[in-house]
Amino acid sequence: MDALIAAAAWALATGDVLGALKRVALRDDPPALALRGIAMAQLGDLTRAKALLKSAARGFGPREAVARARCIVAEAEIALVSRDLGWPEKDLATARTTLEARGDRVNATHALHLEVRRLLLLGHLDEAERRLALPTPTPTPLPPALRTARELALAGIAMRRPQAGIARIALARARIAAQETGITALVAEVESASTLLNSPAARLIAGNEERLLLLDDVERIHASAALVVDANRNLVRRGEVLIPLATRPVLFALMRTMAEAWPADVTRDLLLARAFGARHVDESHRARLRVEIGRLRAMLRPLAGISATERGFALKPRNTHEIVVLAPPVEERHAAILALLADGEAWSSSSLAIALGTSARTVQRALDDLATAGKAQSFGQGRARRWIVPSVPGFPTILLLPGPLPGS
Amino acid sequence: MKINTADVLREYGPYPGADSVHGVTFDGHDVWFASGDRINAFDPDTGEPVRSLDTAAYAGTAFDGKHIFQIAEGVINKLDPATGSVLATIPAPGAGGDSGLAWAEGTLWVGQYQARKIHQIDPETGVILRTIESNRFVTGVTWVDGELWHATSEAETSEVRHVDSQTGKVLETLQMPAGIGVSGLESDGGDRFFCGWGGTGKVLAIRRPKAGTAS
Repeated sequence: MDALIAAAAWALATGDVLGALKRVALRDDPPALALRGIAMAQLGDLTRAKALLKSAARGFGPREAVARARCIVAEAEIALVSRDLGWPEKDLATARTTLEARGDRVNATHALHLEVRRLLLLGHLDEAERRLALPTPTPTPLPPALRTARELALAGIAMRRPQAGIARIALARARIAAQETGITALVAEVESASTLLNSPAARLIAGNEERLLLLDDVERIHASAALVVDANRNLVRRGEVLIPLATRPVLFALMRTMAEAWPADVTRDLLLARAFGARHVDESHRARLRVEIGRLRAMLRPLAGISATERGFALKPRNTHEIVVLAPPVEERHAAILALLADGEAWSSSSLAIALGTSARTVQRALDDLATAGKAQSFGQGRARRWIVPSVPGFPTILLLPGPLPGS
Repeated sequence: MKINTADVLREYGPYPGADSVHGVTFDGHDVWFASGDRINAFDPDTGEPVRSLDTAAYAGTAFDGKHIFQIAEGVINKLDPATGSVLATIPAPGAGGDSGLAWAEGTLWVGQYQARKIHQIDPETGVILRTIESNRFVTGVTWVDGELWHATSEAETSEVRHVDSQTGKVLETLQMPAGIGVSGLESDGGDRFFCGWGGTGKVLAIRRPKAGTAS
């Protein structure tokens, strides 16, 4: 490493981004390109940062594997922060393995955290948790920035589970670690996660009652003996027994309609309207309803029965005297897309499709609807087009780029 | 050319507030190393930190028997080791691409990292007197008993090499253990080299092969 690279890296480490840029602005060797890329990322010019890091990685080539891997990790972080979920995750895993093998444990752990955050964004909680539970390659104690990221990821998993107590403990640890780093954006990130934890997480519908629930209430209901119809994740559960219906929207609609009416029954007409959108009911609809009720009955067997009544059908829960419906706090069309956009970042429609596991066409249609209603807005054209929620203030997403120094 | 594995005798540091080592020198009693915003001295017998000077210190460090020469960014500062004050400044030959620094017989030798070169310069004016080429990135540079040695760090391997000061031909190589990148080099005038270990903030002492064993 030479004097200007060392001076620029020093400036970057002490938060003097412009000072770092000034020193390497005119140089195009790989270490200088990497430093310029990281400096540009910290200034928020992610497009330029990506291009610089890519050419730095190319310049280092296979002979400088660690320096190259660090560039790839930085590129992956920028991709994650800019919600570019199509970025090749395989490259990140390879870079992490390289860093681990060459003893750069801090950056290997940073790469692992990026993989976990990506899994979280995609809703793969079990896989995210499994990765976090692997023995960390980092020497203890973890540097505070990495500790914050780890606790935030644990809190994220717990909040989606939902396990409010575990989330609260993780966030408390994250807050302490974030304050140790002195990075304001990181402290703000922890605070916004805490705000989320104390905002309504769901709406309870039971009998004629309807009220907003905090995550703690949701956790309590999950742990209770009640049969829960969870419209946040389209599943039915009682305690540990889960019946996922996410891929069966018709069955879930029938289930939810009956659960909301319970202990009363539901007329065939209402079921048909809710499940199929049928307005005029004929004999073929009735036949189809019988078939679907039959399928639902088979799936529900461990938790409830469905009995036919004069007018239609009614739920008969087993081993419990309570049925509740948990719905999203605000229910509207395209709620899932709005929930993702609510993170304040600019999303591409293809990344939204990856995160939701649906087709790009479906997402595009929904976005057009939302745009017409003024609930989402876009900028850019073609592949560079991005979507944001206009009303929600953007909160910072941590960018803790890896150490750039080659040969150090 | 002889190739041997470096024999690490001792590890110093890391010392608080000095996370990386950019340059290393020896004043006959203490080892000094550059760590960004200061130069730090420690006693190589006890390993105890002795004192430090606040000054820009981003690459090589050298000692002429009286002053410390320190590469800042595009310049080489001549410092009073008692106070740390800058007595004179000359331009560095690599204009910031400079790495190692050594003093020998009235001239300074400066490594240029990416350019893989070593320049001999006039310490009063900075004028380049001679340039020899290396085939690796040059980090530290030192002279001992009329032998020019330099450290390299490239493709994740690091070596300390004895080279011909006229032609740059490699005469003898000490390969560093895997994972150690030498960022600064200084002889103690005897049978030890002090090597800066890049981003770890550590300084290593390695054994210098007996003179005249190269052939």
